[in-house]
Amino acid sequence: MSVIEIKNLTKSYGKARGIKNINLSVEQGEIFGFIGPNGAGKSTTIRTLLGLIYPSEGNATIFGKSCIEHPEVRKELGYLPSEVFYYDNMRVIDLLKYSASFYKKDCTRRIKELAEVMDLDLKRKIEDLSFGNKKKVGIVQGLLHEPKLIILDEPTSGLDPLMQQKFFELIAEENRKGATVFFSSHILSEVQKMCSRVAFIKDGKIIKLEKMSTLQENSYKKISIETKGIIPKDVFDIKGVSKLESKGKSINFIFKGNINLIMAKMADIDLRNISIEEPDLEEIFMHYYVKEE
Amino acid sequence: MNMFLHELKSMRKTAAIWTVSLIALSALFLCMYPSVAADAEEFKKLLANYPPAIRAMLGINIENIASLLGFYSMVFSFITLCGAIQGMNLGISILSRESRERTADFLLVKPVSRKSIISAKLLAALTTIIATNIVFYVTTLLIANAVKTEDYSNKLFFMINLTLFFLEIIFMAIGMVVSVFFKKLKSVLPISLGVVFGFYMVGALISTGKSDDVARYISPFKYFDITYIIKNAGYEVSYLVTAAVIVIAAIIASYIIYIRKDIHAVS
Repeated sequence: MSVIEIKNLTKSYGKARGIKNINLSVEQGEIFGFIGPNGAGKSTTIRTLLGLIYPSEGNATIFGKSCIEHPEVRKELGYLPSEVFYYDNMRVIDLLKYSASFYKKDCTRRIKELAEVMDLDLKRKIEDLSFGNKKKVGIVQGLLHEPKLIILDEPTSGLDPLMQQKFFELIAEENRKGATVFFSSHILSEVQKMCSRVAFIKDGKIIKLEKMSTLQENSYKKISIETKGIIPKDVFDIKGVSKLESKGKSINFIFKGNINLIMAKMADIDLRNISIEEPDLEEIFMHYYVKEE
Repeated sequence: MNMFLHELKSMRKTAAIWTVSLIALSALFLCMYPSVAADAEEFKKLLANYPPAIRAMLGINIENIASLLGFYSMVFSFITLCGAIQGMNLGISILSRESRERTADFLLVKPVSRKSIISAKLLAALTTIIATNIVFYVTTLLIANAVKTEDYSNKLFFMINLTLFFLEIIFMAIGMVVSVFFKKLKSVLPISLGVVFGFYMVGALISTGKSDDVARYISPFKYFDITYIIKNAGYEVSYLVTAAVIVIAAIIASYIIYIRKDIHAVS
């Protein structure tokens, strides 16, 4: 059974915003990346999944149940919102205890552990905390009941690189213990490190869903060459070439497809230099977006 | 239970301030009673010079003014005004709190239904109002006994004070249903003051006109006519029923709307 199941999910408000016909399923134990620029519909999808927003059509379930009809399934859910706000006049420890009281298990030890890892002072008042420290409260709050499903919405904003590192270690650890992770972000490099599968969303639609390994497999190459003489532009006018840029004798492009094809082409050219790199997700990502437009 | 206690705790301070203010107000007025009672005739003459419309607006009844209950009923209209504001504040704030403090992403993803969230908050508000009224009643009773010049009916005194509770509940329910219609509610007080003073002014205007029983339905402040209570030792049933209908309808509507509401991300 899939941990997250989203079927034909549509939410429309007015004209521009919203999501259209989203289909997704996340299997147990996966770290699933959900990528898109700001305003693409990531948060809307997540909020519908959590039962904060009612879908216009379709449905979204976790552990096979809708959060709206069965709020108790959220017992196994840990959620870290993109912007964290808590009751300002409470102390951190009181807030965490209040949070724990919803799960009917003793979380004191776990709170201590997490606070230590995240270097969080439990005795301070929430209103006195900086943005980054509030985010840490959010992380502890989301993980203290050892949830089986962790949903993260832009989790790293506001965290310094060191804390990001610790945070990712924490998430990886939870994942090793069996937690499924659903991870939304607009920063691709952080998804690249962790996720096993990734979905791209744009303008409320999923434009691509792929295994991370497939994405990074040899199918994509970033090729830069320098030629000795000027070569005609249409040499690289073949299937699989995109983002072709040529400046005099240097040419850059991304190639997707059978490498032998492109290597055969190269063999005909008098080269001064060549470099073939793995493109990072950003470039693949832009590639999708450009193609869509 | 955890939510109920949490909400109750967060209301504690404000509730204490309101209770103290209500008591201070009633103490202030009641302390004047002995001197009013001593110069009853002079006082009546003075008030008789006021135009009848003004007297009606202020709820002054010249025949009764020298008795403790008559005097109290005059000052009581200010107390109900304050009580109504407290009730309305509570009503508006309980369900809008998550959007004002932007904690919806915390509370509403907990494994509890929205129905139980509303119930816990409503129960906490009710408890606060009941506590306020008990403390207020007991203290006012003590003050009244201290300033009285002759015995008065404890039963009537209780019945008058009970209308404060009724009004607070009515305005709490109105506040709740008002708050769920707002997508984003930044501050509570302007709305609550606006609505309460609006009803209060309407109520005052109604009482200046000919005694119109239909017009009285417009303002909850006119549902409980203290002069009637003193005279008949009872409430006017039709208004009591109206009050109950308003409260129940407003609370049911609040449940339905809040449960169906989309909770959007903070921005």
